[in-house]
Amino acid sequence: MKDEAIIRGGWPKNTWRRFTGESLWQGAISAGKSAGYMLCGFAILLGIWAIVSGVSQSLPGPFTTLKTMARMLADPFYDNGPNDKGIGIQLISSIGRVFAGFALGSLVAIPAGVLMGASSTCRRLFNPLVQLLRPVSPLAWFPIGLAVFKHAGEATIFVIFITSLWPTLINTAFGVGSLPDDHRNVARAFAFSRGRYLRRILIPFALPHILTGLRLSLGIAWVVIVAGEMLSGGVGIGFFVWDSWNALSLERVMSAILLIGLIGLLLDRGFDFVARKASYAS
Amino acid sequence: MSAQYLQARDVTISFDTSKGRFTAVKNINLTVKRGEIVSIIGHSGCGKSTILNAIGGLVRLSAGEIVLGGVTVDAPGPDRGIVFQHYSLLPWLTVYQNIFEAVDSVRVDISKGEKAALVESFLKKVNLWESRDKKPAQLSGGMKQRVAIARAFAIHPEVLLLDEPFGALDALTKASLHEELVNLLQMDNRTETIVIVTHNIEEAIFLSDRIVVMTNGPEATIGDIIDVPIPRPRDKREIVHRPEYVEVHDRLLYLLMDAFAAHKKSAA
Repeated sequence: MKDEAIIRGGWPKNTWRRFTGESLWQGAISAGKSAGYMLCGFAILLGIWAIVSGVSQSLPGPFTTLKTMARMLADPFYDNGPNDKGIGIQLISSIGRVFAGFALGSLVAIPAGVLMGASSTCRRLFNPLVQLLRPVSPLAWFPIGLAVFKHAGEATIFVIFITSLWPTLINTAFGVGSLPDDHRNVARAFAFSRGRYLRRILIPFALPHILTGLRLSLGIAWVVIVAGEMLSGGVGIGFFVWDSWNALSLERVMSAILLIGLIGLLLDRGFDFVARKASYAS
Repeated sequence: MSAQYLQARDVTISFDTSKGRFTAVKNINLTVKRGEIVSIIGHSGCGKSTILNAIGGLVRLSAGEIVLGGVTVDAPGPDRGIVFQHYSLLPWLTVYQNIFEAVDSVRVDISKGEKAALVESFLKKVNLWESRDKKPAQLSGGMKQRVAIARAFAIHPEVLLLDEPFGALDALTKASLHEELVNLLQMDNRTETIVIVTHNIEEAIFLSDRIVVMTNGPEATIGDIIDVPIPRPRDKREIVHRPEYVEVHDRLLYLLMDAFAAHKKSAA
């Protein structure tokens, strides 16, 4: 339950109560208030943005930006060769790379985390290594990826792979390591086999921690992909941002920033949704 | 063999703590007959749960040995069913699954269908068949403890180890669970040997054939062993008026309040 509080993030506490019918009216008021606050926040941002852009001249204002964004979104999937593709193609390419790297990273990080959490020998062996590598910007691995894979796209996926390792690994190891003795004693007293212990005790107990790790990994992966694609070039939202700067179109850069934020938010909420379904089922 | 079915010989158990070596219990010598019900009673921190865990094979002995049916105990085994102090149900499994997983793990000798029938019969015995699909969080303390008891009984152990099984329950729930436990035992014609850890005098007298009284910890040991010469079946309302009951009760009160009184002012 305490994990849920972290995962639920900013949603108002009584979001779900709204659907139970009993306090429908109160719920409606509360939802209305939340929406009101959100709109006020956006209005403040737009106001500051309009003032700053009016003063600085070089920064595009909100209205020109929104006009440019509308034009970008009107035809998101056009493809006029390698350096001129629609925003939809760029975003889908980036999301694909994020998921590829994230999936590969998770495949390594979850078993490694379980090992580190369950065995103090593994923890002592690998924890210093993890602590050493974790503070390194994943972008520093880009040249290594290039050298190994000879291809910028795969090197970007490699960077995302590295990015996705650490939060998942550390949270999984923590979750597995904090298994209470009470649960472990049940397995011992009732002679659980290794497989039953994993399936019925260790994994279910660690699942909320693993999901928290995965969610953090996915969030950071989406942050890192933009920078990664600025280096790799070719295609992707990061490349799009850099290419727009080279074309001196800050309207497009600002539009991309808004879209990156929106998609990051959707990824996070989507993961939260899937994760909650998964942990209810288990 | 039956007369010395379960034996603790010169058992000492110490732990390494951050403040140095801590000896919980020292020189424990205890012999339990097959089919006997023995309670271990004492103040908190007297190491009574430690002894139980040692019989369960969950705690390593520093000295001495525990012998069960001629074999030295050095690990947990399905011949001993444990009811843990904090129920220790797995919160992500339903009531049914909690029992089934234990049965499925231990009873490799019977088919899936027989396992299912076994789980069903025990859930019905503790009146939880209707709640079989609930998760532990949806149950009251008494219901959780009944699941834990059913789980320990369902694996058909030779020895049942109950660690303050009713300690966290209110008096009324406690009383009805005592009777349920006794019924459960008689239905089985009681081949099981039972060791119960408790800090409740009435509970110890009602349930046991003999009561082991611990001195205070650290380095606690057995202070006295008292027979409970009250015939079974025992009726909770009736036995309290028997002279044997009063005598045992007074003796236990004297031992716990005076002879081995807690260092601090006792709350018991």
